[in-house]
Amino acid sequence: MSTYLTRRLTYMLLILFAASLLIFLLYALTPGDFVTSNIKLTAARKAELRELYGLNKPVLERYGIWIKNAFHGDFGFSLAQQKPVLTLFHDYIWNSFLLAATSTFFTWVFAVIIGVISAYKQYSWFDTLVMVFIFAAMSIPSFFIGLFLIKIFAVDLKWLPPGGMLTTGSNAVGMAYVREVLRHMTLPVAVMTLLGIGSLTRYFRSNMIDVIKQDFIRTARAKGMTERTVLYRHALRNALLPAITLVGFELPGLFGGSLIIEKIFNWPGIGQLYMQSFSVRDYPLLMGFTMLIAVLTVIGTLLSDILYHVADPRVKL
Amino acid sequence: MVHSACAHISAIDRFIGVRQSQRLGGKHKPGRIGELGQHRGLRQRCAFGQCGSRRRSAANGLIQAADLSKLPETAKKRTDTVIVGLTDPSGAFTPYFTQSGYDGNVNSLLFTPLVTVDNKGVPIPALAEKWEISPDQLTYTFHLRKNAKFSDSTPVTADDVAFTWTILHDKAYDGDTDFSLVKVKGGQAYKDGKATSVEGIKIIDPETISVTLEQVNATALLYLGGEVLPKAYYGKDYKQGNLDTLKSLVTKPLGNGPYKLEKFIPGQEVRFVANENYYAGKPKIEHFIYKTTDGDTWQFIETGEQDFGGFSATQDNIDKLKKLGFLNIQPYIANNYGYIQFNHEHDALKDKRVRQALTYGLDRKTIYVDSNQGAAQVANIPASPVSWSYTEDGINPYNYDPVKAKALLDEAGWKVGASGIREKDGKKLTLHFIGSKKKTTDVLIAVAKENYAAIGVDFQPEQFADFNAQIAKYDSGDFDLVAFSTSLLTDPADGVVDFVNGNVNGYDNPKVKELYNKAIATTDIEQRKAIYKELYQVINDDLPYLFTSYNKSVYGYNGRIAGIEVNPSRGIAVSLPNWTLDPVK
Repeated sequence: MSTYLTRRLTYMLLILFAASLLIFLLYALTPGDFVTSNIKLTAARKAELRELYGLNKPVLERYGIWIKNAFHGDFGFSLAQQKPVLTLFHDYIWNSFLLAATSTFFTWVFAVIIGVISAYKQYSWFDTLVMVFIFAAMSIPSFFIGLFLIKIFAVDLKWLPPGGMLTTGSNAVGMAYVREVLRHMTLPVAVMTLLGIGSLTRYFRSNMIDVIKQDFIRTARAKGMTERTVLYRHALRNALLPAITLVGFELPGLFGGSLIIEKIFNWPGIGQLYMQSFSVRDYPLLMGFTMLIAVLTVIGTLLSDILYHVADPRVKL
Repeated sequence: MVHSACAHISAIDRFIGVRQSQRLGGKHKPGRIGELGQHRGLRQRCAFGQCGSRRRSAANGLIQAADLSKLPETAKKRTDTVIVGLTDPSGAFTPYFTQSGYDGNVNSLLFTPLVTVDNKGVPIPALAEKWEISPDQLTYTFHLRKNAKFSDSTPVTADDVAFTWTILHDKAYDGDTDFSLVKVKGGQAYKDGKATSVEGIKIIDPETISVTLEQVNATALLYLGGEVLPKAYYGKDYKQGNLDTLKSLVTKPLGNGPYKLEKFIPGQEVRFVANENYYAGKPKIEHFIYKTTDGDTWQFIETGEQDFGGFSATQDNIDKLKKLGFLNIQPYIANNYGYIQFNHEHDALKDKRVRQALTYGLDRKTIYVDSNQGAAQVANIPASPVSWSYTEDGINPYNYDPVKAKALLDEAGWKVGASGIREKDGKKLTLHFIGSKKKTTDVLIAVAKENYAAIGVDFQPEQFADFNAQIAKYDSGDFDLVAFSTSLLTDPADGVVDFVNGNVNGYDNPKVKELYNKAIATTDIEQRKAIYKELYQVINDDLPYLFTSYNKSVYGYNGRIAGIEVNPSRGIAVSLPNWTLDPVK
């Protein structure tokens, strides 16, 4: 195990190093830079600014500077926002995390329940209905569902707020604050859950169908166990096993923000910030954010493998 | 690990799927008309941070709210707060150091400039009580108001003004105000480190300051008359060549405007509270909030979460706003213009007759006005109808006329070839157009392809989803036509400067240069008006650009608010201190 971990960690560092170089080059070679789109400036002033920002240096030298600072924990200063990149992450990322974590939780809970029932009652009317609903939810674009729900619940019925995270101008603290945020996150979480639930339900359903057909389930039934015990203790546990690896892959998604949901619901998350940074070529922020996602992805993969080993000792690492 | 591999695919598949739909979805939502979206840059910045909502307030165009009883409960409950939407303030709220145009809207409430402009763009006193310009037009003397104070109640002095002008000449200054254009005497020497102060700046007494320029420049007044930063706060550790301490204070502004910053909640709100030290008296509405709304604002207007919103003046939008009943509706025209730039390095386009033919041969009314349900007006000169310099006297409207276009092309020697495309010296008249990916450009391309085919011109469009990528293509010179719109035109000179400073590659018209220089060599507005009229006539005939349109928009705002006037150059900042919120009837 420990040699495995050492080896894995070395690989991870190499992968991240290569990824950072690749990402840096991709951003640096995208047409235009931070100064380009500022059309009010004269060519002379643009040249001055490029020198001040260090944009006139060769790309590899710029990368060298970036990685050196990154090793010292300095991810730079956002050019557009005039704040340190890490401060900006702190300002926005937790809002995205709140939405993603909640909706992931609900997605998993609903997917497991619906998946198990529809597998158990394969080809029943319930199964068919659920599958139709799930495919519909997966196929409708998120902006449509989002705007539609806003129209119904916020504008027409006025049950829920139309967007944002707080009631504008609100000074709520403590429980009142929590309630306010909960009310505001209801619609975005609902939409994200609806969108995510489809593939996961189908995944659990097919796993469950595989497991139910196995010999040990027949044995369990033959021993005279109740159907409930057979289903939940024996079948579900084994059906969930492969899903454990999925947990690791959710990790980057939890922090990555969701551009369209955040835009529609006016949610102050990192996804919107990222898109704005891209359109103005705010390199420090783009690099910092993409590397954060890269790090989380690598950690998530490692986590998946370890979890799988823990859950199923037959899997050797 | 069979199961595991399966899991990988499933998970990645889901991840990519979601991401792609998000991207596609993002493009379905066009930029909002409120403050900045329609300009040439996604990131549009202004020299004075006054990137406000630039709108015209014509007293006659106002439509009063029909039925205030329809006002949503949320809006009725507010007694001392007004909420206005703003796309994306970043938190850097110090003038000259702001990198996003949206922050300029915030700055304009926190800081009042020395000189502001009226609705026609004519300079009027603000923090400076008055100013004098010497007979040689090189020395400007500003007299500060005796009651001008920062929000911490310290007086605004000539020292603060001198400090502000000085740091803008510092070589470490990396903002987008380019003071080198003003040519303050000794400015360059300070920047190069050859002098320890800017020679041209003279403090006469605590309330009077003068500055001498090297060259007469009519646009200098608004540069010099910008916002004043308190030296005691921003400049306590300033050393020439190092602005680090100042930059660390950018997010914690100390200003002298009508409002003070109460709280900034990233991505959500900028909260302001009335400044009791404001020179013109404390504003009547205690709290003001800029709500961050990146995307549609309809739902916030409809539910009363927002008091004020800007929309494109399409008939649909106007009808919808009227139907809500509780909004006052105010039409306005933006203080900028849209255009298609010709590549003057392209041989065919060097010929004025070809440029005129392309203008006559394009049905601009259909493209910009009709397809937009009237939310625009056809442009023919490089100035907006809201500007004091605007004129229609002696201006050719270039109404759609394919017959005339054909005649002009014939005259220029472009004859219809076998393929139906015009040719000259064996070369076909093919034009490569580049533009951004948005609805107006889609319409333009569809109509232009047809219009130009009818006059024998081969039109080859290319669109870019990303503004920066479009600019990079434009910079490479690989285009014949490119569609843009200007940013806010603070001074009429801003609308024509590109024709003389080499920004329009290959365009060189001595008459335009002469008139441009003549127009900024005097600070007398009546004289300038006459010169601009002549200049616009020359440009209207010579057509360095194919002028396209002026955007029309409407504001809808809570009918309880009185006193709203929107300045085309300075947005709501000028009238905001006088807004009042009528009690609910």
